[in-house]
Amino acid sequence: MTTTSRPTLAARPEQRGIDPRGPRFSAGITAVLLLVVIGLALATPLGGTVADRATDPAFLLLAALAVLFAVGAFAGVARHPYGWLFRTFVRPRLAPPIELEDPAPPTFAQGIGLFVSLVGLALHLAGVPLGLAIAASAAFVAAFLNSVFGYCLGCQVYLLLVRAGLLRTRTENP
Amino acid sequence: MTPIAIALSLAGLVALATVLGLAWRATTGRVSTRSGGARAGDLVTEPGSRATLLQFSTEFCAPCTATRRILGEVAATTPGVSHLELDLTARPELATRFGILQTPTTLVLDPAGVVRGRIGGAPRRETVLATLAGLSASTP
Repeated sequence: MTTTSRPTLAARPEQRGIDPRGPRFSAGITAVLLLVVIGLALATPLGGTVADRATDPAFLLLAALAVLFAVGAFAGVARHPYGWLFRTFVRPRLAPPIELEDPAPPTFAQGIGLFVSLVGLALHLAGVPLGLAIAASAAFVAAFLNSVFGYCLGCQVYLLLVRAGLLRTRTENP
Repeated sequence: MTPIAIALSLAGLVALATVLGLAWRATTGRVSTRSGGARAGDLVTEPGSRATLLQFSTEFCAPCTATRRILGEVAATTPGVSHLELDLTARPELATRFGILQTPTTLVLDPAGVVRGRIGGAPRRETVLATLAGLSASTP
């Protein structure tokens, strides 16, 4: 017998569940692009002026990734461009998913990606050596672990935020 | 940095991430006896006569859904076993009480409400069944 203390944490009926492989596919693309960012950051000497640093290739690519993270975080992963790629090119070749998942955890994870990217961009503009590379490396590890091992860093971070008392429940207390 | 140095750095980063992933995979979903002996009976209104699977979840937790399904199936098909899921988002003090560092975390309780095993991450069905079997074997 199963009892739960609050309404289901699975995809709510009014919200379309998503194929759980979609976010992992997106994380894979993100991981590869972040490796490119890191490679560019390591290959390019740190520019002397803010304008120099704001136009170097690593900065521009990470800024583009930050925009994509923002789309995922605010419009939801279902409307993300990678989600479109997955649905159009990858999903038709796969068997149907065993179960659909709530899109909220991957959406939260996009928010974390956005935050880390913004930190990297800010450190770079401030002229901190390797700041961008280190932030991008952290984001890479998270994206890689999610894509290859199915590890959900967003889930972990969310729990730690709850424990720290920084997040309030979005439903009524029972 | 030279191209070779860059390539090696990137390869090193991928290797590090892989090691972290393998280490995580080796420990997730496995049973440990950490917090064995702690009491959780007060949280369970309908304990199972053999065991209770007490699952701690949060919102925004993808593996919690799979765990709910697995534990629910085990409880439905194994006599004397009940499954209870509690949301830590609503009751964060429980996370402190039991030292919950990841969700899902499942505590396996004996009929007296004492913690006999703890599973971090989504468990496999066989792991849960083996734990329950071990529990029955050691309970007088």
